[in-house]
Amino acid sequence: MRPNQVFRHPLRRRHFLQLSGLSSMSLLLGGCSLPLLDTIVNKASEPLNQKVETLLFNPQKLAPEFPISAIEPNALLVNTYNFTPDINPATFHLKIDGEVHNPLSLSMAELQKMPLTSMVIRHVCVEGWAAIVQWGGVRLRDLLHLAQPKTNARYVYFESADGYYESWDLASAVHPQTLMAYQKNGQPLSVDNGAPLRLASPVKLGYKQSKWVTRITLVNHLLASKGYWEDQGYEWYAGL
Amino acid sequence: MNSLTPDKKSELRLTPKQAILARIFHWINLISLLVMMTSGLQIYNANPVFGGREGWHIPALFLLGGWLAGGRHWHFAAMWFFALNLLWYGIYILVNRRWKHRFVSSKDIKALQISQNNKRRAYAWHRLVYTAIIPVLLLAVFSGLGMYKPVQFHWIVDLFGSWQALRIVHFITVPTVIVFAIAHYLLGLKVGGQRLIDSMFW
Repeated sequence: MRPNQVFRHPLRRRHFLQLSGLSSMSLLLGGCSLPLLDTIVNKASEPLNQKVETLLFNPQKLAPEFPISAIEPNALLVNTYNFTPDINPATFHLKIDGEVHNPLSLSMAELQKMPLTSMVIRHVCVEGWAAIVQWGGVRLRDLLHLAQPKTNARYVYFESADGYYESWDLASAVHPQTLMAYQKNGQPLSVDNGAPLRLASPVKLGYKQSKWVTRITLVNHLLASKGYWEDQGYEWYAGL
Repeated sequence: MNSLTPDKKSELRLTPKQAILARIFHWINLISLLVMMTSGLQIYNANPVFGGREGWHIPALFLLGGWLAGGRHWHFAAMWFFALNLLWYGIYILVNRRWKHRFVSSKDIKALQISQNNKRRAYAWHRLVYTAIIPVLLLAVFSGLGMYKPVQFHWIVDLFGSWQALRIVHFITVPTVIVFAIAHYLLGLKVGGQRLIDSMFW
C-alpha cells in the first residue's frame, strides 16, 4: 500500500476494523505470540490496574515542564512499526468526526492559525527510556472544542497514514498538555517524528502518541481494535 | 517406641517456631519478589539501563513474560502482592510490637562492636542483614512508583534527580536482593542450622 493512497483514500472505519480483525486472527493462528499464562495474568490484573490508574490520573494536574536548555536532542529514539509515510503538507487535512456535532476537516494552514502551545516535557517510552523534548502544536482540547463532542463521547480514536491506530480515554485527550504537534525542539516536525501532525503528550507512554495522524474519531465505547500495540498484548491505558 | 518419646519431646522443644503470619509474609514476599525480579529484568531488556539498546542483555533463562508486554503484565500484577504484603506486615509488626524484639537493636550493634562470642556476633549480623533489606524493598516500591506514574508522582522523579538515576536505583535493588538472599540463607544456617531455615517455611 502506498502512503499517498492511504492519504487520498483514508480507510473507512469498516475496512479498517475488518483489516485489524483479520490481522489479530492471523496473529492468534500464526504464532500464539502471547503465551497462555501471560494472558491469564493480564486478564486478571489489568481491570484492577486500569481502575487504579484512572483514579490516580488527575486531569487538571500538569506534568512538570523543563527549561529549553534541558532538552535532550539525541535521547528521543524513533520507533516505527511499519513504514514512514510521505505526506504532502499542502494537501493534508486532519479529519475530526464520530460523536461530534461539528465534524471538521482542517488543513495545516488552518491548524497553524490556531493558538500554538509549546511545552518542554519528559517523553517516556514503554521500553524504559525517557527524553526531554519540546513539542509545539495545537491543544487537542481546542480542536475538540471546535468539533463539539456529543455528551456520549467517551473515547478518542487516532488513525495514522501508516495504518497505525490508537485509542485514548477522553479525559487524557483533553488534558491541557495533550497536543496535535507540528514542531519538535523548536523546528518543524521531521517526517521521522510524525510530520506533518502527531499526537504528543506527557500523560501517556510513547506508543499512545501516534505519528502522521490523519483522522480523529470520537466514539462512545471502545471497539474491538484498541490500538496497534494494544491488540498485540500491550496495556491499553498506559497513563503516566 | 516408648523409649523414643523423651527424645522426641526434647527435639520438639529445640525446634524453632515462627509465627504463622511471619511465615505467610515470608512466602508471599519470596514468590512475589521472584516474579518482580524476573519480569523486571524482562522489561530491563527492552532498553538496558546501562548502554541502552546496545547494552548487555540479561539471558532469557532469568526472564519472565516472553516479551516486553508480557513482562509488564507480570510486573504490574505481582506488584500488588509484593507491595500489599509489605504493607500488612508493616502494620502487623507495629501492632504487636514485633519490630521491637524481632529486628536489629542497639544491643546487636553493641554485640558487633564488643562481643567476643562468635554465636552472638553471627546472630547480630543475621538480624542486621534481614532488617536492612526492608528499606531496600520499600525503595524498590517507591522508585517503581515514580517510574510507573512519573507525572502523577513527579516529586519522586525529582527526588532522584533524573530519570536515569531513578532507573539505576530501581534496577540496583535486584542485585541487592540477590546478594541479600544468599547472605540471609548463610547467616540463618550459621545461627540456627537447617532447622531455623525450615521453621521460616513450614
